[in-house]
Amino acid sequence: MGTLVGTLTLPTFGSKVASKTRVDYQNTPEGALVQRAQAGEEAAFREIVERYQSKVFSIIHGIVRQRNDVEDIAQQVFAKVYLSLKSFDFRSSLITWIYKITVNECFDYLRKRKVRKLVYESDLSEDEVRRVENSEPAVDRQIPADSSLAQRDYVLKLLTRVSEEERMLLMLKEVEGFSVEELAEKTGMNENTIKVKLFRARQKLVKAAQRLDRTPGLVPG
Amino acid sequence: MHAVVMDRLEEFLADALNPAAQREVEAHLTSCDACREEIRSMQEVSQLFLSLRTEEPLVPALGLYARVIEQVSERKAVPSVANVFGLGFAFGRQLIFASLLTLAVLGSYLVVRESGYTAGPSPEAVMAQQESPSFDSAPAQDNMLVTMTAYEH
Repeated sequence: MGTLVGTLTLPTFGSKVASKTRVDYQNTPEGALVQRAQAGEEAAFREIVERYQSKVFSIIHGIVRQRNDVEDIAQQVFAKVYLSLKSFDFRSSLITWIYKITVNECFDYLRKRKVRKLVYESDLSEDEVRRVENSEPAVDRQIPADSSLAQRDYVLKLLTRVSEEERMLLMLKEVEGFSVEELAEKTGMNENTIKVKLFRARQKLVKAAQRLDRTPGLVPG
Repeated sequence: MHAVVMDRLEEFLADALNPAAQREVEAHLTSCDACREEIRSMQEVSQLFLSLRTEEPLVPALGLYARVIEQVSERKAVPSVANVFGLGFAFGRQLIFASLLTLAVLGSYLVVRESGYTAGPSPEAVMAQQESPSFDSAPAQDNMLVTMTAYEH
C-alpha cells in the first residue's frame, strides 16, 4: 500500500483545474461583523458567540463525548477566539477558523486528560489502579464496551498522528460532509491543494493504523 | 496510487462520483491490486469518522457570552512579577538596573580588596625551601611534640 506513491509524481488532479475565484471574506456581512469585533465592539463579539455556539458545542460533543466538559471547552474556545481575533486575516471563513480552534482545543483537552490520568495512576499501587479502572465510566476504559466508542477512541488516536491542518480538513470532509469544492471555498485554498493535502492525510492515517498494529478492519463495528 | 483513482479519490470515498467516472474507477480497481488495497484501507479509515458525528444537538446553556468574557478578564488579569509587588513596568526596570549596578560595584570592590593582600611565598617555593639541606626542621618537630602532649592531657 502506498508504495506507488513514491515513484509516481504526486497527483496533479490536473484534468480539472480549480477555476473558482477565492471568496473575499473581508467584504461579506460576516467580514463586517468580524471587523467590528476586531475594533473592540463587544456587541459584535457577542453576536459571533451566539451565532456559532451551537456549532462549537456540537463539534466538541462529537469529539470528547463528555457532556460535563463541553461547556468548559466551549468557553476556552471562545476566549481564544476573543484574544486572537485581531490576528484573523480573512483568508478563510470565520467558522473554518473557529472550527480549527475548536478541534485543537478538544485534542488538547484529551491530551491533558490522558496526562492527568497517567500522573494520578503513577501515585497509586497496582491494586488501586485496577480498582479505579473498574469503577471508571466506559468511555475512559482502554477497550470500551460500545463499538462506536471504540471506533471513536481509535480514530481520535489516529488523528493525533496528522498535522493540525490535516486534522481540520479530514474532520470537515468526513464529519461535516463538505465537498472538496466547499472546502476550497471555506479555507481559501484551491481544490487541487485540498485534494493533495487530504490524500497525504489519508495515507498517514492508514500508516498510523498499521503502526498501531491494529488494522482498521479489526475495529469492532 | 494511480492517477485515475487519485484524481477522484474524495468523490469515490464519499460515494459521489457520476456513474461513468464510477465505472472507470471500478474497472481500474479490478485490475490493480495496489490501488484496490490502498482504497480499501482508506475506506475503512473513512468509516471510522462516522463515530464522531453527533445525532442529538446539544443546546448551549444561557449566558455563555458572559462566562467567556469573565474568562477573558481572568486571563488578562494574570499578574506579572512587577504587578505582584504593585510596581509599574518602568519602575520595575529601574529597580532591576539599580540592583545590577550595586552588584557590579560590590564585585569590583571585593576584587580590588583581594588583590591588595601581600602575596606570600608560593607552595612550590615553600616545598623547595623545606627540601633544601640548610632547612632546619627542629622547631617544627618541637611544635609537633608540644601539640601531641597537649592532646594527651
